[in-house]
Amino acid sequence: MGLASLLVALDEGVTGLFAQWNLWTSILTTALVGLLTYQLVARRDPDIHPFLLARQAQGSPVRYPGESPVYRCVAAPHGMPLNAGLNVKEPGASKWARGRDGDLRDIWRQAVAGVSDEGPDKGATGRLLTVLGTDKVVDHSLDALTRHINLVGRHLADHGARRVAIYLPNSIELLVALFACAFYDLEAVLVPFGKPDDALISMLRRSSSDTVVTASGAFPLDFVAKHYPGLRRLVWVLDDGSRHLDWNAVPEGAATSPVAVSTWQDVVNGSPAAAGRELPPLRDQKPPSDVVVFWDGGKPDEEEELVRFTAANLISGVAAQLAAIPTSQRLGPRDLFLPADSLASTHALVLTLAALFSNASVALSAAAPRADDLAAAVRAAPDLRPTVLVATPAALLKTQQDAAAARRRSSPFARLAHARRVRHLPAAPHLRRRARRRPGGRPRLSTAALADLRVLTGARIVYALAAARVAGAVAQTGLYDYRLVGEDADRLEDDAGSGSHFGPPLTSTEVLFRDKDGVRSDETGSRGEIIVRGPCVAGGEAALGVLGRMRKDNTIACYV
Amino acid sequence: MDYVEQRVAQAASSHEATANTLLTPLNGLLLAALLYVAYAFLFRKPPPPEVPAEPPATVFRTFTPRTLLPYNGENGMPVYLAVRGKVFDVTRGRNFYGPGGPYSNFAGRDASRGLACGSFDEEMLTKDLDGPLDTLEDLGPSEMEALGGWEERFEEKYLVVGRLVAAGEEKEE
Repeated sequence: MGLASLLVALDEGVTGLFAQWNLWTSILTTALVGLLTYQLVARRDPDIHPFLLARQAQGSPVRYPGESPVYRCVAAPHGMPLNAGLNVKEPGASKWARGRDGDLRDIWRQAVAGVSDEGPDKGATGRLLTVLGTDKVVDHSLDALTRHINLVGRHLADHGARRVAIYLPNSIELLVALFACAFYDLEAVLVPFGKPDDALISMLRRSSSDTVVTASGAFPLDFVAKHYPGLRRLVWVLDDGSRHLDWNAVPEGAATSPVAVSTWQDVVNGSPAAAGRELPPLRDQKPPSDVVVFWDGGKPDEEEELVRFTAANLISGVAAQLAAIPTSQRLGPRDLFLPADSLASTHALVLTLAALFSNASVALSAAAPRADDLAAAVRAAPDLRPTVLVATPAALLKTQQDAAAARRRSSPFARLAHARRVRHLPAAPHLRRRARRRPGGRPRLSTAALADLRVLTGARIVYALAAARVAGAVAQTGLYDYRLVGEDADRLEDDAGSGSHFGPPLTSTEVLFRDKDGVRSDETGSRGEIIVRGPCVAGGEAALGVLGRMRKDNTIACYV
Repeated sequence: MDYVEQRVAQAASSHEATANTLLTPLNGLLLAALLYVAYAFLFRKPPPPEVPAEPPATVFRTFTPRTLLPYNGENGMPVYLAVRGKVFDVTRGRNFYGPGGPYSNFAGRDASRGLACGSFDEEMLTKDLDGPLDTLEDLGPSEMEALGGWEERFEEKYLVVGRLVAAGEEKEE
């Protein structure tokens, strides 16, 4: 009988096979079972569903000839208005009441009022810190700063100032001056610090500033008074070392000099302690004033571009940055925000305002923007542990290159461990870094470099594309987007990771590509000059002047 | 019983032979399984998900009554109709506006007067395709209100894919 003999043969075969069981078999079986169990137990869900990363923006169904479809991020679909406001509500209003858009004044009011959501953090406020040198950290009380805002604002407004140029490094006085201008209806002009004298004169003249708030020793008063007759008033912000000098001297050569000089310390300390505690009331406040910013193109002989932002532009930028963070990672009183980039640049300014509005602690260091790499920027205050950092791509690139060089010198095992960690991100849960890139002229961070940095710093890194006329950023990679992407438009995953992308547009911008220089959009893809529209764009629409394309996952990539 | 004794003796002898050898067939199988599992879980990255590409966007066009005429749903063409200068893509409402539908008169034509007056008759359509567009001057306020209501419904439901101008006016803004 064939079947019986077949079964017998099968039985003999199976028992013969398992009869070979020996010590090695036991070891191998244990290893196999152990590996399977480990995979089952140690499995972690990815931070975000891969389908959400596979398409991050949505194109409009209709496009105009000569242009690509208009792309918006998934959180701001077509047909809905873009994110234009902060939804500011009165303290007693219900959670579901519709708030108003708000302006800079509401940001400070919210920072002072503390967290308004019900919960363990209700009423908690963030701290405002100034980092001096490498060992001193000054904690400012919010009430004292409110008083300073009132006194400085009233002083400037009473003496007839209309456009106030703020020429300060990153410091608390910069923020106080900015909010003082907002509360007392003056136009603030943020001048990037550390510019040569003729660039400074040019910026003052173009913005028609009549008042300058500046740091002692950093402003060539005689030179400016001679070349810019429009200057009417000057406020020196003194540091501790120079307080004993007489800063009320007017520029020489003018017996009837029109420049009235005063010092910050006189203004805030010269009034009684009870004066200036209350901010101007919310009711009957005038429409918000504009803020003028200078955009540094990065090229040494290129003039800084003057950009006038309305308060609505800035608020929309702030709202978009807040909306870009997932709810579980929202900024709060437990976060410490450190801008390692000049606050005169719009991106860092908008992020700082967003941190203030979220009641996070903010640390300001004058030395951090000039630091070469991340370690130097953070070294400014070894006791502080910033959880959110704004950095320039140059600093991040240098950090990454230094670390890569160190790794090349280290053992192969360390290199392998690093490579494995790069493949299996995410890293630590609650730190965030944001890098910013201007279109054209700045170093570009590839996704491989970003992945290296994520492993190195243990933080999530957001890479943003910023532009002159846009408050905040044009586009920003998602917080959970750790993918390595290649250069080729058709291949999304590439181990080389040499490509880079900037993510989808934000909730307050929409992006389209206009045909330029022979680069056209068609059925194979959208490409051309990047055009941005939205409530955070000064003038409504802005052309970035660089060519870019939309990748297959609907994230923006720039041609070099 | 012989068979059983024979098998026991066989098993005993084979067991001595393979006492601590690594490369028996059983070990070979287990080793292969172990290596594959290790590769699959530790070193291989899952391929990224591929989502189907978005359909290419329709290009906004300037239509004249004559170039709009072919878009009436026949020959596989999409169904367009124009309301007050805006051309809507009503292919989704093919049952109404496509061939054989109750409102098929409107397909590929300027439907403003017909919608304002609430009529699907032939007189509501512009006869002269090369002439100027229907200005709707002789319609009363209630008809204009009805037209406005229709236009709002169209805006909510359908996509604007072009604009309608009279023949000869395409180059104007």
